[in-house]
Amino acid sequence: MTSAGEITRRGALGLMAAGGAGFLVFGPRGQRADTRGRIVLDYWEKWTRHEGDAMMRVVDAFNQSQSRIFVRYLITADIGQKSLVAIAGGAPPDLIGLYAYNVPPYAESNALMSFDDLAPAFGLSLGQYAPGVRQVMQHRGRWWASVNTAGSVALYYNKRAFREVGLDPDRPPTTLPELDDAHRRLVKARDKGPLERVGFFHPEPGWWSWLWAYHFGGSIYDAQADRSLVDSPENHAAMAWMQSYARDLGPDRCKAFKESFGNYFTPENPFLTGKVAMIIQGPWLANLVTAFAPDFDYGVAPFPVAPGLSDPAAPVGLIDTDVLVIPRGARHPEASMEFVAWTQRQDMTELLASAHCKPSPLASTSPAFRATHPNRGIGVHYDIFQSPRAFVPPQTRAWQQFKDEVDTMVQRLWRLEVSPEAALPPLERRTQGFIDRAAEERRRRGGAS
Amino acid sequence: MTAPRARAARRDRRAILTGLAWTSPWLFGASLFMFLPMALSLWYSFTDYPLIEEPIWTGTSNYARMPDDPTFRRVVWNTAVYSAISIPACTVLSLVLAALLSMRIRLARFFQACIFVPTLVPLVASAMVWMWLFNGEFGLINRLLALVGVRGPTWLVDQQWVLPSLVVMSLWSVGQSVVIYIAAIHEVPRQLYEAAVLDGMSPLRRFFHVTLPMISPAILFNVIVMLINTVQIFAVPYVMFKRPDGQNPAGHFYTMYLYENAFVYGQMGYACAMAWLQLLVILALTAVMFIGGRRLVYYRGG
Repeated sequence: MTSAGEITRRGALGLMAAGGAGFLVFGPRGQRADTRGRIVLDYWEKWTRHEGDAMMRVVDAFNQSQSRIFVRYLITADIGQKSLVAIAGGAPPDLIGLYAYNVPPYAESNALMSFDDLAPAFGLSLGQYAPGVRQVMQHRGRWWASVNTAGSVALYYNKRAFREVGLDPDRPPTTLPELDDAHRRLVKARDKGPLERVGFFHPEPGWWSWLWAYHFGGSIYDAQADRSLVDSPENHAAMAWMQSYARDLGPDRCKAFKESFGNYFTPENPFLTGKVAMIIQGPWLANLVTAFAPDFDYGVAPFPVAPGLSDPAAPVGLIDTDVLVIPRGARHPEASMEFVAWTQRQDMTELLASAHCKPSPLASTSPAFRATHPNRGIGVHYDIFQSPRAFVPPQTRAWQQFKDEVDTMVQRLWRLEVSPEAALPPLERRTQGFIDRAAEERRRRGGAS
Repeated sequence: MTAPRARAARRDRRAILTGLAWTSPWLFGASLFMFLPMALSLWYSFTDYPLIEEPIWTGTSNYARMPDDPTFRRVVWNTAVYSAISIPACTVLSLVLAALLSMRIRLARFFQACIFVPTLVPLVASAMVWMWLFNGEFGLINRLLALVGVRGPTWLVDQQWVLPSLVVMSLWSVGQSVVIYIAAIHEVPRQLYEAAVLDGMSPLRRFFHVTLPMISPAILFNVIVMLINTVQIFAVPYVMFKRPDGQNPAGHFYTMYLYENAFVYGQMGYACAMAWLQLLVILALTAVMFIGGRRLVYYRGG
């Protein structure tokens, strides 16, 4: 006899059995074969919104072009971390859209399938890509990735603000002193009160706070010697230049001004609202203009360099790319490569590049692509692609930690909490420590140091 | 005598087996998802393990590396200072609020609910709200300070203001402690207060000499829970201080660095060593509190 409300053994077992049955019937499923018997490839990609939509069009076109392979596009946030865990767990997707800086650590860890073995059979070769882009596809002499979109970084400036202060909107600064001069003329503040507008502002958006040394003719990493160059004279000059802005504007005013900025992907972007008249940016900025401020009048130019380094035929600029890789453990490498080859066709790269407002990563493009490109400054980005002075993020396994450390120190330098003389020597020792540890890991695992 | 004893032994055995059968789902789950990963992480802490490659035994090198790692020293310092300020501040505030709400005041239940509600807000949402409150240019806090002629700092940027801002934020979520303290205060025998009143004790002295000793087990419990939470602080500073342009050093905490090593820098071995050190520190501090509690905590049961 049991009283009402008391759980009987039979009742409890029944409940558990019902739960188990429910899990079996409605619970998660593994890979389900496509109903038409096609090979299903899982493709993890970081893009969302219009960028994701564009890639979906490429995927849809591939799925409709043949009947053997079906690519499933899965939007994946924090793609670097999730891919790492999936590969480590032995359950990777078939294709991953990573950032270029992911290639060296993944390649050294044998987490990727080399394109050297797979790509030629599908008609792909390194020679079909723009010279600057090829650098990120290879690591230590092997080919690991294709580039699905690429951007070079340039100076974007507000032509209306230029006109307002008497600057020629068709003659953007080409050297850093010219940039400094334009900046000073563009600064707007009420007496000594809060800033309303500045010409140039280093921490906006702050994604590449490590690259200023390159515009002083230097670098922060020597790939040949595998050495950190953070303490180089060029980087000292770059940091001193950056600090001169904070000193002139006042560090407290700078901090408060930065707090007034809206998020990058919103109409409150400080470039679009006119708070910052010149920024360092990639070609995708044109999409923001179209979306949030269609009447915004902007110009594009290579980012200025130190005096004496200016050469219109060989602009200095960072190349930042998104890569497509096939992870180790992918179930259908040939089918995956067939999809990769599809994405690298001229029409597909141009479809994607146009939607992302970026240049095509390929060496040659159709005349229509450039003529109808939505970014009015696309020619500048192409010039950087072709330039012998274009550079890519340092290709070292230690890059993520290296970059985080540099970013943190650059923030402190910008806030004038420390001088370059005090900051850079220990920063170089520390970043060299990361590089040495990466080399030690390679040695330990039998790779070449 | 033998037969009844054997019957009792059989009954005991059956009871044990039944107990094990009923707890087996938990035992299975805990073994698979807790004890096994813990054992593996201990092993990994003695290896070089980049996650996508096999771990290689490196002895105690991960542990030996910690003292020479300036970022490690910085996150330990930040976490220790934050815990050292936040735990006492939250404890004092929650005790004061609990004492006030235990009095016979109007709308006490309403105020209790108001204090408890913030603990129901997801941490990320809470962090976003506080980011706006502390915004140096548009934040409500600086606007209020401006009304009295004070120009507020950029709270979440200035190195010296980051930790105080986080401590203020932690005070926002004392609701759970307050509820526990109120329950504990209600359990204090009335006759103790009556005796204290007869002895002429002021309300303040009654609080210190009657209430506090009687609720000391609840205080110990809450302090230990707070210690575990503050030492592992992650979500709020991660949302607030991990920006594309770099990490604010003052807002960098132990668990954030542990996570970065594990999943961003590919140094799972070092991250596991950090995790074990963190566990040992929490266990040691908890043990110290229990030992100290023997003298300071009063248990009515004896």
